[in-house]
Amino acid sequence: MTSAPSIEIVTEQVTERKVTQTSAQLIKLLIGIIPNYQDDFWHAETELFGAIAEFDSMALVTLIGEIEAHFDITLDDDDISANNFASVASLTELVLERS
Amino acid sequence: MAKLSTAVEFYQGTKGPLFRLIRTPEQVFAYLLFIPPLFEQANQTRHHITRSAINAYQQGITTIVFDHYGTGDSSGELMDANLLLWQQDIIKQIAELKAHSSQPIYLSLALSAVLLLSDEMLTQVDGLILLQPDFNGKRFVQQFKRLALAAQLSGNAQAKNSQTRNSSPKHGGDNEQKTIDIAGYQMQAALLEELAGQALAKLSDFNGDCYWFEWQAASEALSPAKIKQQQSFAQKDSQLYLYQVDDVKFWQATALHISSSYLTQEQAVFSQLRSAQGESN
Repeated sequence: MTSAPSIEIVTEQVTERKVTQTSAQLIKLLIGIIPNYQDDFWHAETELFGAIAEFDSMALVTLIGEIEAHFDITLDDDDISANNFASVASLTELVLERS
Repeated sequence: MAKLSTAVEFYQGTKGPLFRLIRTPEQVFAYLLFIPPLFEQANQTRHHITRSAINAYQQGITTIVFDHYGTGDSSGELMDANLLLWQQDIIKQIAELKAHSSQPIYLSLALSAVLLLSDEMLTQVDGLILLQPDFNGKRFVQQFKRLALAAQLSGNAQAKNSQTRNSSPKHGGDNEQKTIDIAGYQMQAALLEELAGQALAKLSDFNGDCYWFEWQAASEALSPAKIKQQQSFAQKDSQLYLYQVDDVKFWQATALHISSSYLTQEQAVFSQLRSAQGESN
């Protein structure tokens, strides 16, 4: 007979699932804005700000608007930082913090 | 394909000559005036507006594409523009159309262009074609101002232009005019305040037809905000037709993307307008 997983393990699994889902949703939004890359270019560690030429100020603001509409959250002006928009992973973290 | 009958002209707007491009078919069933969306969105939608205009023309609809005062190829400086002036220019064009024809007049409004709608305008036209309308002026302005923050972030030289500053009035006097410069767009801060004050209530008395194109993946539900907007509109006397476009939002894409799904559906609307008008003539 196997014992039930601990609360910590369940919480960890739920968090991991949320991260994966949020990351996938963000990638979908990014593909809509920057469509000229193959799908396999995009993953959790894909670098954004300063790494992709097309990820300019216009793309960044467009992405913010899409994130707010899609996740029904509001980002502050202070959230617009190089750290938050460094990669899909850092952006995922920001969205989960604001959700 | 027959050669397009296209006329390029500068007509006298309220404050100065405005550029416009008119495509007139041999037999005219209706008029379609394209109201350009604001700032960068005008550039982002230009290609599709041209395609739409040609498609409408081929269905017997005279199309008029123009630039607002102080923008594009029209005269004047954006710094001297304001919401009322842009609205007066649109009303003037509608009045000119009504003066020489009894055919129906439609407005095509993409994104932020709906922020220019006024009650007077709505009483003068027979229908609206809306492309992902952005009725929330406050949100539009917030997004526009964020461009300045994003430019600062990227170390762009434009960042230095991002701050609001006070400038001396051109004609002297004690009042100071606040000006703002965002991503190269220099304007009176009051213009953004006027735009931020615009909202869906402008459509409250409209009783014409409305063809609403909403970009939304087939697998996704409409956001609560959009549902509320559409319900609000549907409760009026107007007839609302909704079209779902499951395609890339072409105005957001960093590379040119043709939204075939939208153009095909819109062409069907033009054909429908022609049929309806053909029957009534």
